[in-house]
Amino acid sequence: MFSVNNNAMAAIDGKKRFSMDKLLTIVCFFMLFVVVIVPIFMIIFNAFFDKNGFSLNLITEQFADKKNLDAMFNTIKIAIFATIFGTIVGVFYAWLLGRSDIPAKGVMRALFNIPYMFPPFLGAMAWELLLNDRSGYLNRFFMDVLKLEKPPLNINSIWGIVFVEVSYYFPFVFMQVVSALERMDPTLEECARIAGAKQSTVIAKITLPLVKPAISAGALLILISSLAHFGVPSILGFRQEIYTLPTRIYAVIYNSGGSFEGIRQGAALSVMLVGVVAIALFIQNRILSAGNYDIIKGKSMRPTLIKLRAAKLPLLFLSIFTLFIIVIVPLGMIILISFVKAYGLPLVPENFSFINYQKVFANKGTIDSIRNSLILSVSAGIISMFLGTLVAYVVQKIKPKGSAVLEITSMLPYSIPGTVLSIGVILAWSGAIFGITLYNTLWIILVAYIARYLSFSMKTSSASLMQVSSSLEEASRACGASHSESLADITLPLIRPAMVSGFFLIFLPAMREVTTSILLYGPYTRTLGVHIYSLRDAGYIPQAAALAVVAIGLIMLLNVIVTQLTKDRKGV
Amino acid sequence: MANVSFQNLKAQYGKNVIFDNFSLEVKSGEIMCLVGPSGCGKTTLVRSLLGLTKPETGRIAIGDKVLFDAEKRINVPVEKRNIGIVFQDYAVWPHMTVIENVSYPLKKRKVKKEEIQNRAMRALEQVRMTQYANHLPSQLSGGQQQRVAIARALVVGAEVVVMDEPITNLDAKLREEMLIEIRMIQKNLGATILYITHDQQSALELCDRMAVMESDGKLCQVGTDEEIITNPINRFTFEFIGNSNAIPLVVENGNTYLDLDEKIPYEDGKGKDLHNKELLVRLNDVVFDKNSKIIATVTSRIFLGSEYNYFLNLGGKEIRLQQSMLNAKNDGTVDVGEKVGISFINPHFYDKKIIKEAL
Repeated sequence: MFSVNNNAMAAIDGKKRFSMDKLLTIVCFFMLFVVVIVPIFMIIFNAFFDKNGFSLNLITEQFADKKNLDAMFNTIKIAIFATIFGTIVGVFYAWLLGRSDIPAKGVMRALFNIPYMFPPFLGAMAWELLLNDRSGYLNRFFMDVLKLEKPPLNINSIWGIVFVEVSYYFPFVFMQVVSALERMDPTLEECARIAGAKQSTVIAKITLPLVKPAISAGALLILISSLAHFGVPSILGFRQEIYTLPTRIYAVIYNSGGSFEGIRQGAALSVMLVGVVAIALFIQNRILSAGNYDIIKGKSMRPTLIKLRAAKLPLLFLSIFTLFIIVIVPLGMIILISFVKAYGLPLVPENFSFINYQKVFANKGTIDSIRNSLILSVSAGIISMFLGTLVAYVVQKIKPKGSAVLEITSMLPYSIPGTVLSIGVILAWSGAIFGITLYNTLWIILVAYIARYLSFSMKTSSASLMQVSSSLEEASRACGASHSESLADITLPLIRPAMVSGFFLIFLPAMREVTTSILLYGPYTRTLGVHIYSLRDAGYIPQAAALAVVAIGLIMLLNVIVTQLTKDRKGV
Repeated sequence: MANVSFQNLKAQYGKNVIFDNFSLEVKSGEIMCLVGPSGCGKTTLVRSLLGLTKPETGRIAIGDKVLFDAEKRINVPVEKRNIGIVFQDYAVWPHMTVIENVSYPLKKRKVKKEEIQNRAMRALEQVRMTQYANHLPSQLSGGQQQRVAIARALVVGAEVVVMDEPITNLDAKLREEMLIEIRMIQKNLGATILYITHDQQSALELCDRMAVMESDGKLCQVGTDEEIITNPINRFTFEFIGNSNAIPLVVENGNTYLDLDEKIPYEDGKGKDLHNKELLVRLNDVVFDKNSKIIATVTSRIFLGSEYNYFLNLGGKEIRLQQSMLNAKNDGTVDVGEKVGISFINPHFYDKKIIKEAL
């Protein structure tokens, strides 16, 4: 009914053929077409068509190659295990911190969010330094102390990759579930207790089923992220020739020296990867179809806390140990290595100096990469913020014919792996569109970032717009404001907080991005992530660590600023 | 002159026709209450007047100024119509203070700065909100927000103000106060008010005239509240405007009976053709009458403060009766279980409702 009202409103708006609503809608469709549809189309086109027209040769060739099949199975295996373990860890700690009387909750919650900010490929770097099968510091320590013949642990393995991914991805589930637990009406649990259920029964039969939608949303995030993940498997897997589809795509293109044939092969592999993601999404949807529970309310209530009694100390110890392993150890390792004079020296004070920092900053590439990353993330943040809000406004308020298409299109890159997106962007902007070639420029990375992060701002703006009743805009129209005036005076100010947080949701991950930029960077367009990655790749490990420390410091600092900025919102 | 005229309007959403051939005249300076059940098209009518919905056919005008004319292809945009509106959800802008909210219409009309301040404060004075001028809406109660919305609708001195269910979200006491306030403001300004509600009670308290809409969007009666109460044009109006009892009638051998478990003679029906009709009577028009041959049993009695509510059993059918305190004092109350004679004053006779068989 509303859609019709709004259409009528659009019709009323102008005697002019071109009303503002129409203009916005067309801009939206056009931008999404260029940014999202064209790259995807280019991949499909290049994978299935050659000079002679339609052909499945390229795809079948890829399937015939055992390396590709191995990569596919590795991808699936890693994603499944990372999802299962990540979900278990996330739910367990969410319950512990959300519902039990474990001490020091505030501090622990803050610490549990750190892995979310910490770029996973830096974690992988740290763990490789510790548990590399021959030269890992921890492995050598164990061999010396326990007099072992062989190193006890090997991080350069499927299980190593799963372990590192779990430690960075479980916060997805953790954060979703903690917030669901906090919004859950505690009387629901109390009723079950009154009806005679034991504490354990209540957890199994009431609490967990109620937060199931949150769990499955978080698990889905882990699954998609892991399937698409590049950083961890590339750092831990390349040396042992363990490939996943995203790293395999990178290797194929890298080995071909960036030739068109290599990129076409990458496109065909991308189709394979997207197929895997699509099947995974379908199965996940079948297993964990998220129910809709209205009993989880928007306002927060004070839940009853469960007394842990004798289990309190062991559980507290377990939490601290987990935090130590996933936060302190990798962070400490990176910091220590960044001070060591040369890689491989024992970590003792006489070997420490600031030489790596000096070397890194003497390198012009470092400053360039920081500048590039700042330019890219700020501009991607701003452009995606406005474009995402525009899409959200058109979908929510104007509701033109085909608004569902708009919504799906803008959400599409969210489930498309960054590697795949980069290949599409390369194919699209190497002269395919109006002969424009952006290859080796910052622009091509910017276009990829916009496509990749558009859905972030679109989601936050959309949620906020849903809260803005259409009568607010109508009231201002009746008060004498034109359509554009009421947009500027009423709607935009009301969703400004959401737009700002949408900006930072893009800015922060873009600052540490590797997956897309690694395929798109040119000689002068290295990003911060790429620079660290290539320093390490070239063997300058202590320097890479020094730059990583700088990057982590920068990200944490920005995060603090963001939380401070977004704190004092006007009560809307 | 600010009389509002709707002529032959038709509105539809897709294939769903909301109303067709709808005509209504609102006189200049009156409070016209448009009442009707939810979903009857009241809101669509208001949106058409404001210009938020475009009707298919017809004409809307305020005085001589045509706002919409389908034939002449006239459609004045929303912001040029100069109509004050108070929405059901207030639609007070949460990011602006009270005074900013009220000043906004003046700003959009390019009124001078000093004048804006004065006029906005005057509007706030009218709704007794001056002390909250610098508050944000989130700091105000529902009733206070509503007053801000009213001040904002009145501030430019629009000749026509539309209020769409403006008090539904308020509690009973506040509702009463707001109705009195709206009345007073209207007296001071002389604006024409079109007041939309599904609540006949507040409509009766407020209006000069009333227009009753049926669920299918048809206008069934327009008139003063007195006319509508005393002389409802059809069964729908009668039932919509207040509670009533309905008793089926039957005529056998020239005698009229109340058609209940047993047939009770209804002597007042003599000389009227009441076959297959129903007798409808308001609760306070059912009275205790020792001389009546219609005997009912009292099943329960509830004291409501200003009156007693009785539930009676008349031949297996539940009849409700309202006895005012004055009558209770003069005639005495009747206890539960007593058999008592009743008669109906001012009864209305309508055709029986055709109850469609449930599929």
